Amino acid sequence: MEHESVPLYWRNIPAYYRLVAKRCKKCGEVYYPPVVKCTKCGSAELEDYQLPHEGELVEFTVLRSVPTDFLKQKPLVIGLVKLGPVKVLGQIVDAMPEKLKPGQRMEVVFRRVVVDGKYGLVMYGYKFRPRP
Amino acid sequence: MKVGIVSWGAYIPKYRIRTEDIAATWGDDPQRIIDIYLVYEKSVEGYDEDAVTIATEAARRALRRGNVDPKKIGAVYSGTESKPYAVKPISSILIDALGLPNNVFAVDMEFACKAASDGIVAITGLVESGRIEYGLAVGTDTSQGEPGEHLDYSASSGGVAYVIGKDGVAAEFEAIYTYNSDTPDFWRREGSPYPMHGEGFTGEPAYFRHVVGAAKGVMEKYGYKVSDFAYAIFHQPNGRFPMRAATILGFPPEKVKPGIVVTHIGNTYNASALMGLARVLEQAKPGDKILLVTFGSGAGSNAFVLNVTDAVLERQKADVPKVDEMLADKIYVDYATYLKNRKMIKLFE
Amino acid sequence: MQDVWINGTAMAQTGRHYGLNADEMAARVLEEALKDAGYPEIEALFVASATAEQADKQQMLGAYIASRLGLDKIATYRVENADGSGGAALMAAAMAVRSGLYNCVGVVGVDKPNDVLSNQQQDIYSTATDAVYERYFGVTPAAQAAIMAKIYLAKYEYKYEDLALWPVLMHKNGASNPYAYMRKQAKVEDVLESELVSDPLRLYDVGPMADGAAAVVLCNKKGAAKLLGMWTSTSAIPFNNRPDYDVLYSAREAAERAYRMAGITPRDVATAEVHDSYSIFGVLAAEALGLAPRGGLLAALKSGADLKVNLSGGLKSRGNVMGATGVYQAVEVVWQLMGKSPFKRVDGSIGVVHSMGGVDKVSTVMVLGL
Repeated sequence: MEHESVPLYWRNIPAYYRLVAKRCKKCGEVYYPPVVKCTKCGSAELEDYQLPHEGELVEFTVLRSVPTDFLKQKPLVIGLVKLGPVKVLGQIVDAMPEKLKPGQRMEVVFRRVVVDGKYGLVMYGYKFRPRP
Repeated sequence: MKVGIVSWGAYIPKYRIRTEDIAATWGDDPQRIIDIYLVYEKSVEGYDEDAVTIATEAARRALRRGNVDPKKIGAVYSGTESKPYAVKPISSILIDALGLPNNVFAVDMEFACKAASDGIVAITGLVESGRIEYGLAVGTDTSQGEPGEHLDYSASSGGVAYVIGKDGVAAEFEAIYTYNSDTPDFWRREGSPYPMHGEGFTGEPAYFRHVVGAAKGVMEKYGYKVSDFAYAIFHQPNGRFPMRAATILGFPPEKVKPGIVVTHIGNTYNASALMGLARVLEQAKPGDKILLVTFGSGAGSNAFVLNVTDAVLERQKADVPKVDEMLADKIYVDYATYLKNRKMIKLFE
Repeated sequence: MQDVWINGTAMAQTGRHYGLNADEMAARVLEEALKDAGYPEIEALFVASATAEQADKQQMLGAYIASRLGLDKIATYRVENADGSGGAALMAAAMAVRSGLYNCVGVVGVDKPNDVLSNQQQDIYSTATDAVYERYFGVTPAAQAAIMAKIYLAKYEYKYEDLALWPVLMHKNGASNPYAYMRKQAKVEDVLESELVSDPLRLYDVGPMADGAAAVVLCNKKGAAKLLGMWTSTSAIPFNNRPDYDVLYSAREAAERAYRMAGITPRDVATAEVHDSYSIFGVLAAEALGLAPRGGLLAALKSGADLKVNLSGGLKSRGNVMGATGVYQAVEVVWQLMGKSPFKRVDGSIGVVHSMGGVDKVSTVMVLGL
């Protein structure tokens, strides 16, 4: 049985659950993953920024050789999705890969990501799917 | 101003299994099963879905439809009988998944399929008392049925969420009435993977006594008659029971059918009657009155009289998937995939 | 500033070394390299390993390798930059000699990915991606490489068949390298018929994980080859927000700076070993080293150009020895410059090593000369 780190999961809940990014208060640049200081203007004043939950598919691949946590979910569709000012990399679900096309509308969904064995934590997070 | 439904959201997982594919696995005659239950196919969650993810999707849609600021939600109550955790609430996960404030009453409720409607009752009280501005009542289930047993033909997955408040009400609660007793028609013991039920006993002494009792109770106590209602919606464990309840109460089929979704997604338990209500709200007109009767085994019913307001028109226009659209948007799976998605295959963990 | 010379080299055949512990395997190869160098007194040991903790439950591998050889009182450092650990350890060791702190140091790269199951190898490899924003969601380097391959092929209007020329070349090169893991020729059809790993990448596009150990001895006195230039560069841009997916930023910058230090141009390069953990990275790395214009490497392969790149067979054929890779590459390039068996002497005196950790996260480029 694996033992996933609870604090590691817990502290990333705002990103995992809601796609909370960081925005520079001074120049408005948006960062996901977040930065500690703005790499564009140097300001250390950053605020939470909610990424939109709809976007556009940039590119994707169907991954057949997967880590242990995902062995029962083969294949994984891994895609880059443009969400407002940034792109986000993640799983695409509820889709037939042969029908996916770059440029199509995608929506963010909330799904199980990792289940820590039979008795451990159920860990959730964002995934993407074609906008119905 | 009356308290009522400000907004609603529904979520039906994309996967379906046909009754004939279940019957073929277990040696049943599919036509006989369909004749008994009037369930042609049922919804199946994805492998990475559970009652938490389904609740989140429904709730996000409810907030979006009504353009409700999550920070104004003062209570989140989840009704379910398929919690992924025996101990650890769905409602607390919803706080962070939806971005609700920490000053929010949060609890999961259990009364078989009725709990979500008890969440509505409780939130209505909190709003009426002025303690909170809006509350979120969620019904979510990935309900269990032993493979090959008759529940396997109907127990399905889905969720609904209702924002209850005083401001921007699309359907007012004019009356609420309840009818409960100790009637052991269906249960699941702690640690048991599947429920047991009393077959025919789930009918007369359980479903019909409580549903009809609550419906008659609300109409008698508050002075409504069948002809006052444009729609009647009943808990729907199968396609037959709500139609028969309607007949007993004297509702014509055309007032009942719009609220029936069980035939094509199965029984979504805590989302069952409330999914029917979502479908009705997506087509109702201002001024329509709706009778909603939920039911939970064990057993009890809550009856609600709703009065649709002008605000419903705006909610209907919102860019949120409608129940009918979700009914049509589906991917069929075979029985093996169904067992996999429902986590019924024994794996190394 | 001291000159840095490679005084001794050694490597083990890559493969499945089920009978050897990691420290033992590393110690054997280090001993060979020390012998090759004439047993100088080494004052420090730099160990490159990407998988020591995860596959072999061992930290401070350097101390245990030292124990195996009785190298008491020396300094030991373990250097980790995922599959780019080898380049990083070489860089650290070279800096230590160059600074004058040490006269002679050992560098050994070792990894034993075959000590774990194939899915556990994916677990380990995916720790080279961002743990929170990528690995958590099931992202692996293969998936990222695949997305880059898709974008590259589309942008420069290549077909997948064109990309397949890379593994074919690697198998051709590796077939005559007895140290390689996959020592057989492959045809384009073999590549096209192999299973999809992450589309468009197929099995032949992926360097198979192999156990291996390689060592060099670096000293400030003349040896077989001289370190003419070296640079390490990190790409701080997250994968999801790269402006371009058809270039290796880290390799491009490291190559430019290393070439400048060595005073060479790409035309001077007689042989190069690049980090082709996935065929697309071989293509992009070769372009980053200036061996072909951007977007032009596959066109060069199609036109039958005689590219002196990965004469070892690269990660595809020699095997992906993870953290040991960079050290293997350094040994291979030295042997290619010297004409030491199994390699024929290349036409020129300058060779280049490109060692990369993760998907264009950190690259080290070293320029070696006779």
